[in-house]
Amino acid sequence: MILFDGKLYQTSEQTRLLEEMEKRVTFTLAHGRLSPDTVIEAIDRLGRMLREGELDEFIVRSGLSELADRMKGSLSLLSREYLLHKMKTELGEGFFEPGETRAVAGLRGVRTLPMPLGTLFHIAAGNMEALPAYTVVEGLLTGNVNILKLPQADSGFTVTALAKLIEIEPSLTDYIYVFDTPSSDIAAMRKMAEMADGIVVWGGDAAVRSVRAMASPGVKLIEWGHRLSFAYISGGWSDQTRELSALAEHIIATEQLLCSSCQTIFIDTDSMEELEEFCRGFLPVLQKARDARPITDIGAAAEITLKRYTASLEAAMTGSAASSREFSGRMCGLTICEDSAPELSEMFGRPLVKRLPRERIPAELRAKKGYLQTAGLLCPAGERGALTELLIRCGVNRVTTAGHMSAGFSGESHDGEYSLRRYVRIANAEGAD
Amino acid sequence: MSAAGKLFRHKDPFDTSGTNGLFLQAVRENCEYQFRHNENYRRMLLARGFTPEMLREYDDMAKLPFLPTLLFKKHELYTMPKWRMLIKATSSGTGGQFSRIGFEWGGLWNGAHMVLRVIGRRRLFSAVPCNYVVFGYKPHRSNHTAVTKTAFGATLFTPSLHRTYALQYKDGKYSADLDAVAEAIQKYAESRFPLRFMGFPSYTYFAMRLLDERGISLKLPENSKIMLGGGWKQFWREAVDKQAFYDMARKVFGVEDRDIVEFYGAVEHPILYCDCERHHFHIPVYSRVIIRDPVTLEPLPNGKAGLVNLISPMVRATPILSVMTDDLGILHDAEECGCGIHSPYLEILGRVGLKEIRTCAAGAAELLKGGAE
Repeated sequence: MILFDGKLYQTSEQTRLLEEMEKRVTFTLAHGRLSPDTVIEAIDRLGRMLREGELDEFIVRSGLSELADRMKGSLSLLSREYLLHKMKTELGEGFFEPGETRAVAGLRGVRTLPMPLGTLFHIAAGNMEALPAYTVVEGLLTGNVNILKLPQADSGFTVTALAKLIEIEPSLTDYIYVFDTPSSDIAAMRKMAEMADGIVVWGGDAAVRSVRAMASPGVKLIEWGHRLSFAYISGGWSDQTRELSALAEHIIATEQLLCSSCQTIFIDTDSMEELEEFCRGFLPVLQKARDARPITDIGAAAEITLKRYTASLEAAMTGSAASSREFSGRMCGLTICEDSAPELSEMFGRPLVKRLPRERIPAELRAKKGYLQTAGLLCPAGERGALTELLIRCGVNRVTTAGHMSAGFSGESHDGEYSLRRYVRIANAEGAD
Repeated sequence: MSAAGKLFRHKDPFDTSGTNGLFLQAVRENCEYQFRHNENYRRMLLARGFTPEMLREYDDMAKLPFLPTLLFKKHELYTMPKWRMLIKATSSGTGGQFSRIGFEWGGLWNGAHMVLRVIGRRRLFSAVPCNYVVFGYKPHRSNHTAVTKTAFGATLFTPSLHRTYALQYKDGKYSADLDAVAEAIQKYAESRFPLRFMGFPSYTYFAMRLLDERGISLKLPENSKIMLGGGWKQFWREAVDKQAFYDMARKVFGVEDRDIVEFYGAVEHPILYCDCERHHFHIPVYSRVIIRDPVTLEPLPNGKAGLVNLISPMVRATPILSVMTDDLGILHDAEECGCGIHSPYLEILGRVGLKEIRTCAAGAAELLKGGAE
């Protein structure tokens, strides 16, 4: 499904629409102006309609009930209050109002004109159902024309939601284009990239690499790649039971699928025995969290089972001695490793457990710079300040308590930056008042 | 003659209950052969505490360690030296990886008997020459995919007048030209000889839709048939349900539901599954299917969904005796179909796995949905 000019089209019309699009986009950039207030108003209205059940019938008709149910918790993201706060934190108050620089000798008055970047080409990942719509909303808030390439796994939610938004606020029509082009259609991808001032790419290293290869040097790349997160445990803190339960629940609730999910649990020690002792204590806690939330998707469960079974056959084939030690539960488990690098686990309730004495934190974390995101820190209160600073200095962008590793909040930075700032530019003009 | 040889020459291709003993014996012989000649296979079996002599009763086959298709994608696991293998085939490689499977003379000869029986039973052989439209790859020496070989094979069921391929090899890659195919179909529709289609359901459907959009409705010659194989999976976006497919075939080609035949198979389990007149895939004597629990891998009773484990003693060159596909499926009792065939039938539900691995922080709240915080 394609969303173009506020209307839905079949995928087969892609080539024709792409031909037409460049002229339209150029016209919009040259003559149009989208104020953040208009966007916020429209999104707030959509949020209100959702909260008050006005769209229930529409949702059922579009076959999105299950999804809508799942997203109930996130509806506060669609409120004026949230969006205004986001704009204010990320860009500062009254960002788009023209200003003036200090007088410079020899120049007539120079004005500063904050502008949208222009056209954003979003390549969304299949991460979360709401992500493709979310990235377009960020582009709209900053006044950009948005071309969105849907991820393969899109459920139809994105097109439906954005079409509804246009229905609420028709002036958004020329700022939203959605295509369901597969990533393998290089010609179409290139065409969209050529129209863009900025390419916003979400996804793993492979997605980021292929965009870097495709983009012309003149286009700005905004890369939201996959990140790694971990828990760091330095013993002797109070309230151990509660904090460890919170960590276990976080691991199971996110299935370790998010950038902010704990993949590795580091213990501030040099002793392997201490790791084993930790696992013996933590496995029952993890199992309890898993039992409360079994994996319901049989496809996902089957995939994990197969992967593990295959790995065991491969180990038998090569006769390789295990360099790790496993503590297995039912659909969850812990793996002790010899090394100390932050690493992606098998996910689905199977974190890695490693030694990392605090004096080795700098070396181990710097080796993964550019990939680190959240550290869930469990330590005595008196050491929290110093450890937090050390982790942040070494490249971590968020430090939280164990249970809040994936908690979101308005005004949070995105992998160390405010995303809206990447979507704007500041022009200067002399004597243009 | 080996037990496998007898099995593949069995008269009734769906007499599974009458061949259980023979099947077990063939599996044991195959397993012994692999165990003796394939060091990797032997190691894997031993690591799981299994040896071929443990195959004493029919139910013991469920204990035989199966090899996931993923393993054939990552490793070359041939049992015979390459010179003894007549054909090396690969899977179509959805997602870039493909399995490498070798076939020896004896295995292929078994396969030839199977094809004759199964195709004969579905009455697809005929002395009347046909025109063929292949919605698949035109054979090329660089193409080793099994799907190409079988699609070509299907054009040999009758003498063939012309073959038109939807996917042509040009400048080092394949590209689809549906317009040319649509033209060919209209030409063949005028012929007094039947027209047969063979290939991917998706392309077949695209072509029908193209003709339909142009307002073209044909009456193909009597005894024309649509044969489908190769699966729907790459084209999930356009996937249509089977009934919509049959309706379109009637509308555009005047071909009735009974003249549409679907095949199922995999290079790691090269057994020809041909649907019955009610479009169900009954298990032929050459094969047994065990549906396994997605978590424990224990066998499940008929009617329950799980991982599809396929067993066949057809080939010796590669240890594909018992393979685990990455499909989810259900085995149904024969009576649920009612076509008269007495063996259970397999329904494929789809691939295992998440739609796409989710990994990002920005919307964690969505997954947490107010539960665990």
